[in-house]
Amino acid sequence: MDLASAEHGIETMGTDPQRPHGDARNPGDVGDAVLVAQARGGDREAFGTLVDRYADQARRVARAVLQDPDDADDAAQDAFLAALVKLDQYDSARPFGPWLMRIVANAATDRRRRRKVRSAVSLDEGLVAGGARPDVVAERQVLLGRLRTALGELPERRRIAVVLFDVEGYSHAEIAQVLGIPEGTVRSEVFHARRKLRTLLADWRDDG
Amino acid sequence: MTESRTPFDHRPDARLGAVLRAALDAPQDRAAFVARVMAGTGRTPAHPVEHLLARWAARGIVAAAAAAFVAGLVIGRARAPAEPSVSVDPGAMIADVQAEPNLLLVATTGR
Repeated sequence: MDLASAEHGIETMGTDPQRPHGDARNPGDVGDAVLVAQARGGDREAFGTLVDRYADQARRVARAVLQDPDDADDAAQDAFLAALVKLDQYDSARPFGPWLMRIVANAATDRRRRRKVRSAVSLDEGLVAGGARPDVVAERQVLLGRLRTALGELPERRRIAVVLFDVEGYSHAEIAQVLGIPEGTVRSEVFHARRKLRTLLADWRDDG
Repeated sequence: MTESRTPFDHRPDARLGAVLRAALDAPQDRAAFVARVMAGTGRTPAHPVEHLLARWAARGIVAAAAAAFVAGLVIGRARAPAEPSVSVDPGAMIADVQAEPNLLLVATTGR
């Protein structure tokens, strides 16, 4: 298995963690706090901008918990709608992202508890079809499937922590706010998650 | 793949992050998802009645309690009967006590 070539397609997607706060991504963007204020006043377009801004992030965090992409999208949608209803509870002095991600994580966790995730089988389509790996695309799919499986084997809190930190670019303090745990615990969770994932990826290379 | 980094590193691992992101990115495009959410908001009032009631319930209870307390205080004072002022004259008390032997003496002597 040529991991380097499999990774190549991934690297072209960009390696910078996505900044969590919309107003930090593009100087021309309207700040989250302004959009929230407008949405509170009934401006649906402002809320739509917030949804667009955080959609990818919310879906990834939900998928980190639920694994199944359809379930994740349902949970992310639930979270956005819950956020709309709770907008009055948001403290605009604090960043919007962690507040929203907490709702997303809770929505995903609730959904997982209710539904008992269909199974990890759907995650491993690449692995199931692993006998035939004719090209780089197939290899990449297998790698990603393997990674999803490894992620799914992590405790839920650890999964969310590593995704928020390494994928979404949240600080330890912000993740602590999202998860409602001490910052030191967040550092520990990220550490353990990274160790596990890196071991898996190293083994993958060795297997090749 | 991330040999130069350790799990202790306090900075985001961009390469691990990119792989994870690719693994977690949703297959459906974002525009469709956003449209779906916005369609859902049409069915979710921004301020549902229950939410408004919940917001005002706590404030209402506090205000009602305060109003009841003040009203009770005012009505209680207004309805209280005007009590006669009681003043004790020590001299009168002593006089009463001293008068008793005289009365007794008159009664026994018949004068």
